[in-house]
Amino acid sequence: MEHIPGYVLIGLSTGTTYAVIGLGIALVYQVSGIINFAQGDFVMLGGLTFAFTAEQGAHPVVAAALALTVTAGCGAALHLAVLAPARDAGHDRLIVLTIGASILIQGSAVLVFGADQHFAAPFGGDRQFQAFGVSISAQYLWCAAAAAAVAAAVWALLSRSQTGRAMRAVAADRETARLMGIAPLRMGLIALLLAAVLAGIGGVVLAPIQPPDATAGVPLGLKGFTAAVLGGLTSPLGAIAGGLVVGVVEAVVTGLVSSGYRDTIVYGLLVAVLLVRPGGLLIAAVRERL
Amino acid sequence: MTARFRPVAGYMVFVAVLLTVPAVFTRVPFYTLSTAVLMVLLAIGALGLVPLTGLARQVSIGQAAFYGIGGYTSAVLTVRYHVDPWWGLLAGVVLAAAVAWSLGAVIFRAQGHYLSLATLAFGLAVAALVNELPVTGRNAGISGLPPLRILGASLTTDLPFYWLCAGLLLVATVAVHLLLRSPVGSALTAAGDSPIAAAAAGIDISALRRTAFVVSAVLASVAGSGYAHWFRYVDPSMLGLLNSVQLLIIITVGGRESVWGAPLGAFTVVTLAEVVRGRLPGSEAGAELTAYGVVLVLSLLLLPRGLAGLPAALRRRARGAR
Repeated sequence: MEHIPGYVLIGLSTGTTYAVIGLGIALVYQVSGIINFAQGDFVMLGGLTFAFTAEQGAHPVVAAALALTVTAGCGAALHLAVLAPARDAGHDRLIVLTIGASILIQGSAVLVFGADQHFAAPFGGDRQFQAFGVSISAQYLWCAAAAAAVAAAVWALLSRSQTGRAMRAVAADRETARLMGIAPLRMGLIALLLAAVLAGIGGVVLAPIQPPDATAGVPLGLKGFTAAVLGGLTSPLGAIAGGLVVGVVEAVVTGLVSSGYRDTIVYGLLVAVLLVRPGGLLIAAVRERL
Repeated sequence: MTARFRPVAGYMVFVAVLLTVPAVFTRVPFYTLSTAVLMVLLAIGALGLVPLTGLARQVSIGQAAFYGIGGYTSAVLTVRYHVDPWWGLLAGVVLAAAVAWSLGAVIFRAQGHYLSLATLAFGLAVAALVNELPVTGRNAGISGLPPLRILGASLTTDLPFYWLCAGLLLVATVAVHLLLRSPVGSALTAAGDSPIAAAAAGIDISALRRTAFVVSAVLASVAGSGYAHWFRYVDPSMLGLLNSVQLLIIITVGGRESVWGAPLGAFTVVTLAEVVRGRLPGSEAGAELTAYGVVLVLSLLLLPRGLAGLPAALRRRARGAR
């Protein structure tokens, strides 16, 4: 029991990445009503591109820039080539389309980078710090800093810029926003682009801690979903809080029970949230459908 | 041909195809009887997605969990408790139905598309559990399943097992077809097209969706038990996410609004997987995933009703051109 503060600290550290992933999922869902199953694969793509390029000897900044460009390009391609042509299709079809995109990205990643893990050095050397009796990689400070910066940037965009206001208008009332001269499809593109860049950032800062391979995206995406759903699926701030909760639950379960049952419990948490708290979800869903 | 006799003609063609498969598949390159068995089992599993995804428009990404529940129930009961395989299969069906019923009872209270998220998480949670529990043999799985027996004869080789699966597929197709043509099928279509209008017309949408979900779980479980007794071995890879996605691809490519979509899709997807594996040795996993993704996206964009909807689409185009 005396270890719990340490587990919570570990959980908050890993939770920052889930928060960034969940933030992207919530943004896309809010603006275009699409549950984007490819979000985790954007994280994988960002991390893998970064680690692979860094392994080839590129400067980490160059590698990170390349990784973000690749994920952003992939996000734009997903919107322009897959989702926009099917904009009149029902939500069910759009969900399956993002699943198709997800396995397409995974398959291409295996073809390009191979099936093996790729390794990147921690930023600023391999250092650990001690707190509450646990030792944590200093890289997690980068994760937390990236999450905080990303959250602040998204908040500033949504509440302070004209584009952000237009995005929120589309989320609130698509048809009226269209009458006011806002193109929902364009806002959807911006949201997906933003989500892809967020995922790319998450992938880059996570790569030194969890060496990515082509299949790394699915579990990360699912934790992002859990984060977003915990936060009500339409609230960016809620998704960030949700991400931290997921990280803490995961770390405490791993510490107190066993690492073997960790996935069962974390994924079970998502099912439980969907089952127990449909109230918050219900309101969002009805607003979405009517 | 009038619309009335079209289903009868469809079944005649279907039975003829099922009857000629063993003769054809043993004579052409790269198709074997085991590919045929695999196709038929996948078609049985995918068939359950016709009412659920095709009509009610609910996407499940957790069918592999029910596939695994079927396979593992069969394995645990027959290997550890020496139960007759048929009772094992039946127990798997009951368990899968009960799980789907209780999951559906709560998940469908919420509107929207949470089934996809809930089934994805549920599927991975069950997969992780099976990988850990001592009773399911952890990551080693369970081997040494007895073969299925009919009238005292063990189905140990591919040919008799193919006949059994083909028979099961035929029965399942007729059952799902009858369901689609029943008032439940019309209500499912209505609920899929416009949930609000259907609810206003007095249809209990959540009960309907739950029924479709249970049907899909039962068929996936039958396919899983069948696979377990054919392969005589189960392991956690049965519950892999790719298996769920594969069933979704099958029904999307084949045509999710028609019972013929499942066999057409299973044939196409298994053929595609074999071709890709044969052509591109070394990078199998990547090439297979890429091919699946391309086929899924293209068929959704270009052929929303799948291969089964192709004749109708061509007819419409011909009529429009005239």
